[in-house]
Amino acid sequence: MTDRAETPSAQSLVLEARGVTKHYEGVTALDHATLAVGPGEVHALLGGNGAGKSTLISIISGVTKPDSGKILLGGEVMPASGPLAAISAGISTIYQELSLVPALSVLDNIFLGREIKRKTLGLPLTSDRRSMELAVRDLAADFGVTANELHTPVSEFGALKKRSIEIVKALAFDPKVLILDEPTSGLEDAERQVLFGYMRSMRERGVSLVWVTHHLEELFGLADKATVFKDGRTVATVATESTSIDKLITLMFGADREEFGGGDTRKIAHLQPSSERPVILRARNLTRGSVVRDISLDVHEGEIVGLAGLAGAGRTEVVRTLMGLDALTSGSVELNGRRLSLRNSTAAYRAGLAMLPEDRKQLGILADLSTAQNISISRLSTVTAAGFWMSRRKELALAESYRGQLGIKTPDVNARIGNLSGGNQQKAIVARCLNTSPKLLIFDEPTQGIDVSAKVEVHALVRDYAANGGAAILIASEIEELLELSHRVLVLKKGQIVGEVRNIPAAIEAGEFARIKSEVLTLSAAGQAS
Amino acid sequence: MKSSSPLARIMAIRGMPMTLVLILTVVIFQVLNPVFLDGKTVGNYITNGIPIMLITLGVAIVIIGGGIDLSVGTVAGLSAGTTMFTLVQGAPLVAGIAVGCGTGLLFGLINGFLVAYMRINDFIVTLATLNIAAGLLVVLSQVQPLQGVSVPGFAELTKGDLFGIPTSFFIAGALFVIAQIMLAKTIIGRRLYAVGISSQASNVAGVSVPHLRLFTFAASGLLAGVAGVLLASRLGAVQAFLGIGYEFIAIAGAVIGGISLAGGGGSVWAAFVGGLFLATLQQGLRLNNVDPVYFSIVTALAIVFGVVFERQVRRVILRAALHRTALFSTDQPRATEDESVVASSEGSNNNDK
Repeated sequence: MTDRAETPSAQSLVLEARGVTKHYEGVTALDHATLAVGPGEVHALLGGNGAGKSTLISIISGVTKPDSGKILLGGEVMPASGPLAAISAGISTIYQELSLVPALSVLDNIFLGREIKRKTLGLPLTSDRRSMELAVRDLAADFGVTANELHTPVSEFGALKKRSIEIVKALAFDPKVLILDEPTSGLEDAERQVLFGYMRSMRERGVSLVWVTHHLEELFGLADKATVFKDGRTVATVATESTSIDKLITLMFGADREEFGGGDTRKIAHLQPSSERPVILRARNLTRGSVVRDISLDVHEGEIVGLAGLAGAGRTEVVRTLMGLDALTSGSVELNGRRLSLRNSTAAYRAGLAMLPEDRKQLGILADLSTAQNISISRLSTVTAAGFWMSRRKELALAESYRGQLGIKTPDVNARIGNLSGGNQQKAIVARCLNTSPKLLIFDEPTQGIDVSAKVEVHALVRDYAANGGAAILIASEIEELLELSHRVLVLKKGQIVGEVRNIPAAIEAGEFARIKSEVLTLSAAGQAS
Repeated sequence: MKSSSPLARIMAIRGMPMTLVLILTVVIFQVLNPVFLDGKTVGNYITNGIPIMLITLGVAIVIIGGGIDLSVGTVAGLSAGTTMFTLVQGAPLVAGIAVGCGTGLLFGLINGFLVAYMRINDFIVTLATLNIAAGLLVVLSQVQPLQGVSVPGFAELTKGDLFGIPTSFFIAGALFVIAQIMLAKTIIGRRLYAVGISSQASNVAGVSVPHLRLFTFAASGLLAGVAGVLLASRLGAVQAFLGIGYEFIAIAGAVIGGISLAGGGGSVWAAFVGGLFLATLQQGLRLNNVDPVYFSIVTALAIVFGVVFERQVRRVILRAALHRTALFSTDQPRATEDESVVASSEGSNNNDK
């Protein structure tokens, strides 16, 4: 698809990256990567986690300096002199993590560091809010931000409005190129559509959009071209109208394609109803203020119990109380018939619970420790001599055995875990949990922010765990994921259980996936506590 | 994937660039005044510096665990005071030492309890105990002049020697070695780094964060207590305002050595080098007849310089190491930039077919 004839000649390109290479502590993030973006083009950047997309945009936006290679803007080499220079040259970036100051008004955020000054006593000391407002009022209105809202603190707005504000902020300075890093993350379906509308109107203004996304289905009808990255290299640039999701996935994962969606990894044990098997966890009337209300649940041996619900339904809050991370107001928990005291997480782990937390970066990994050290931390007694002295040899052996078993891809288990891709970090956290030999393992959003092929691998880990007799509680916002992995789903709403869907594997086997999906969704949205 | 040059590998260790600066400082002072490295002078100034170095070690432990302890200076002062007070009452040497160390430990436990279990900000807690300890020392010194002790063996803690080496060297050396083993070789050390990196993530992973917090403050308090006993022994008299400002030197020493205030990074060696550097600097200035009025200014400048230097050296060395790794790790020899563009776009064509 990279026919020379099809790509515009070098002169008409707005943005070009040539031979960009970047190493981080021995890990090659980018290896002679290239990118060519034409004027008024929506150009998607695709690739698995660790493919190099983020590194490339941070280089283009001037945040990171490449080891070699250059960035050309309008045919001229851009000096690598920091993000401000990039912005004034015409490259704006909207990051996945929003970079607005919550306490400041929308207007102040838009002009932060670039205020229009008014002379007071001959000195440009005060900012001229009137001119600033005039300058962006129409633009803001185009993207759904009213004149009134310009004076409201950003903290009062939701995810979509914040994206809009970021867009206005970027467009206020006439960028030639706007980089959008996963702009739809945190947006509901309807909001995504609004955002896509905005992206089209930006294209009409002649702004080239560089769009990083994991959601291939979003591309069609919106992106003009897509450049696929794999292992830090540019694999191909394709026109979206002449490609398909399947082709893109093949480009993104190459040889890994087989394991992705290749047959059902589900084990036979999964199909048997587990209600006759012994109960591992018995929780009764768990209550924590008004966030968790009167939750009772059983988890049997070899069973995965899914918790469904909308954001704010209290799913994470329930498992946090089980782990002793948040205190219970009332209720009791038994594990293998033994009453637990949920004082703190240490006691929970000692009793035989383990948790893979949501938000891997904040709550999961210990970024500055090595992969080996991240695996051992929850049960250090497995890597000590005499229960007190750390044994490097044992720790290394443990890490190596999990590296093989779970397929953690890293050149060196002694290297900082922060340098691994999201999927591999997540596998290390799974290893950490398994190393405690848990009786019950809690998976809270296990595939959040990891790429498609790593997702499949993590799914297999969860299934294997249950197939070997482990009991698990699973939380997943993606309903398909939740249903494909769970034996039974409890639906939560406002901290209460509002319904239960049983025998899910059998139902899926019978081709009733759509029915149970709509049942769960209906309960999540409109269920009533009995 | 490790960098190949041994020099780069050594310099990449936290605290190493500062070690270099320390050696350089010693050389400069030696050239300026040859008395500097005279055995007796060296023994003297290190003995003088040992209490501060012990306080630095304590603060470093707290900082590595992600906290801060401002109370160490005045707690050391108060511990010196209580030791002296006990000995003035005619109690035996052991009792004096125990009371001094106990005073430090008690303050450490109070700090730790309030921070870890009452969840009060450590800055606030230790700022309060800093002033409480300072106030108690003033009260104590008004109850009784804290001097004139002739208990056998007390002065020898700092002034005596074993095989020509000052006694306090052994005490401090032992404590540093124990701390090093604790941090590098034990479960507690590992958990301490984990908590310093992220107390939230450590908590989720089942590490008992409050217990560790308590431990760091207790260790810091105990070390301040020991420092206090040694101070009392060396000075022979305890003034009402002893120890005020020591926390600044201790925290600065830790930072200079390369311990990150953000927590989770640092070593005993870093605390040692940082503390020793400040002691060396003061001694050098004194020997070169610099007016003590300027000491604090020079020290403060040295701290800023030291931190900047440490960071720059680490950056340069790391970059050089990476560059070398990059050169050796790519399969094909590095092409010129233009060639490489062609190479990779051809690569993409191949993949596409």
